[in-house]
Amino acid sequence: MEKKDILLRVINASYRYSDAEDGEYALKDVSFDFELGKIYAIKGRSGSGKTTLLSLISGLERATEGEIIFDGKNLKDMNLDKYRSQEIGIVFQSYNLLPYMTTSENIILSMDINGDKSKTKKERAIKLMEKVGLKGSYAERKVLRLSGGEQQRVAIARSLSYNPKMIIADEPTGNLDKQTENEILEIFKDLAHKENKCVIIVTHSENVCKMVDKVFDLDKNKSKK
Amino acid sequence: MYILKNAWISITRNKGRNILIGIIILIIAMAATITLAIKNTASDLIDSYMNAYNKEVTIGFNREGMMKDFNIGENGGRDSVKEKFNNIQTYTISDIESFADSKYVASYYYTYSVNMNGSNIEKAEMEDNLGFGKRGGNLENQSDFTLMGYSSLDAMSEFINGTYTMEDVSDNAWDIAFDGNYVFINSELASYNNLKLNDKITLISTDNKTFEYQIIGIFKENEEDSQEIKMFSGSANTIITNSSNISKIVNDNVKGNLNPTFIVNSYSDVSKLQDEFYDKGLDENYILETNEEVASSSVSSVKNVNSFATTFLVITLIIGGVVLFVINMINIRERKYEIGVLRTIGVSKLKLTMQFVSELMIVAIVALLLGATLGAITSKGVSNSLLASEIKNSDNQSEEINKNFGGHGPGDGKLMMKGRGVPTIQAYSKINAVVDLVVILELLGIGLILVIVSSIASMISIQRFSPLTILKERS
Repeated sequence: MEKKDILLRVINASYRYSDAEDGEYALKDVSFDFELGKIYAIKGRSGSGKTTLLSLISGLERATEGEIIFDGKNLKDMNLDKYRSQEIGIVFQSYNLLPYMTTSENIILSMDINGDKSKTKKERAIKLMEKVGLKGSYAERKVLRLSGGEQQRVAIARSLSYNPKMIIADEPTGNLDKQTENEILEIFKDLAHKENKCVIIVTHSENVCKMVDKVFDLDKNKSKK
Repeated sequence: MYILKNAWISITRNKGRNILIGIIILIIAMAATITLAIKNTASDLIDSYMNAYNKEVTIGFNREGMMKDFNIGENGGRDSVKEKFNNIQTYTISDIESFADSKYVASYYYTYSVNMNGSNIEKAEMEDNLGFGKRGGNLENQSDFTLMGYSSLDAMSEFINGTYTMEDVSDNAWDIAFDGNYVFINSELASYNNLKLNDKITLISTDNKTFEYQIIGIFKENEEDSQEIKMFSGSANTIITNSSNISKIVNDNVKGNLNPTFIVNSYSDVSKLQDEFYDKGLDENYILETNEEVASSSVSSVKNVNSFATTFLVITLIIGGVVLFVINMINIRERKYEIGVLRTIGVSKLKLTMQFVSELMIVAIVALLLGATLGAITSKGVSNSLLASEIKNSDNQSEEINKNFGGHGPGDGKLMMKGRGVPTIQAYSKINAVVDLVVILELLGIGLILVIVSSIASMISIQRFSPLTILKERS
């Protein structure tokens, strides 16, 4: 892989909480490269730092040591709110949709936060829903009336609403059955391989690890495959 | 824009909570409107009273200053005080005119009196059988009568304050009273001498000159002095005329008693005015005295209402602010998940804070407008009942003064005089327009402060929340 395809570089990143004891790190000296057009899994046991790494690469926290470079820019120098609302999409295990909104409103909200002022947002939201396997007629349905798999599709559609280069997913199939898990993973694979996006999945599922292009094992702090 | 859209969605989905917040703000707004209205009306009323009061300055004798000279030297200082007292320079009408020619003086009037004896009338007096001798109206006066001259209607304080009331008066009396040989006499003197309107009386000055006057009014004295046994009132032998007539009598041999009153624009100018009077030749044993204390004490009840309203407003705002603060804290705790989601998908802390403040602001504005409307309706009644007695009192006073002058005084019963606590009628219209633009602006200011203060909880919480922690807790 050419160096030019590297979208995200994690270089010797470490994170420690402000109240941590000396030498105690939530994440210690991690270095990974993530390329466009590929799907990655980050695995590890509980306490290995998966969530912390997710926080760092999604800009929810800043690394206390080391650097994270996205598309050539150091996250330390970026507005992280803008980074999350424009450059990356985040998908969570528990979907994290706003329950008082409809399916389309959840997706349109993300476009609004991105600063999208076009008048075709609703049509585009429905197209995104169809793209992730949801019926367009669900647009006006409150998200709480959808099944887990359907809610996760809405969450993926929301993360795609402003066409980010990178999708970060935290245990996206953790609450889903096997069949739905496979369907969701297919969507992620298509996003990486057909739409040239960089997809990073934080997981402990062996099934997920088997389906991705590359797995980073935080327990060993090294990559395999 | 999406902040407002989100705020609106949030308001409509949490109807119960927002209605509760709305009701609290509405009650605060109503209470604030009523208290602000009462406060402003009371302030207007105080201003109205103070403006209605003539700011009077009179020339008084500096007794305190003189008394300081006692107990100094031989005879306890009596001789020096006596000498000083005898050497005090009196002032004349031309002095008064000179004093009044000042930027601090708005207008002036004066009374001018002289002692006279009767020619074709007898002094009202009667010897009692208690051993006190003859008793007349003016006991200390060696002459028969006091001829009291007024420079204008404003100077006729006894009629304004109700000590005297006109019993019988010629139709054109007030058109001619200040320009000719006309007098008003006491009803007791009239009865004693069998005099009636249009009769003529002749008086003799102390230098034996005779002056003839026509009676155009008969007044009576209303003050009762139960401490003293006497047949006639104190003013029985007081004959009222204009000051020009006194000037015709007074000369080097006949002394007149001159009492000026200056109407000033502001009480704060009095010390400068006093210095100016001294420069213009006023003897420094005189000092200027004001009616400020009387004017101020007459509005003390309204001032009490004003300060009560202020206290009530402050307490209402504190309680309202605390309640709203607590509701907001609960609101934030309930909405931690929403905050976490919005922060995760890129909404900045500032925008999130703006959304929460906007939600409260929208509810607050609606509640404030409703509260102001209800408060305006209620405050009219409350203000009127609280302050109506003051207004009625002032209105009665105007009517009363007109009656004192005989009911058909100058301007055919439309006598409107300023002075001595006679408020103007405009106070009525002020009462009916208590909730004006000023009140609305004050209310909006209060609302804004309440919203910001009660939103502090949400502002701080949003800064402190870690979105991922919130979402993990939820999971």
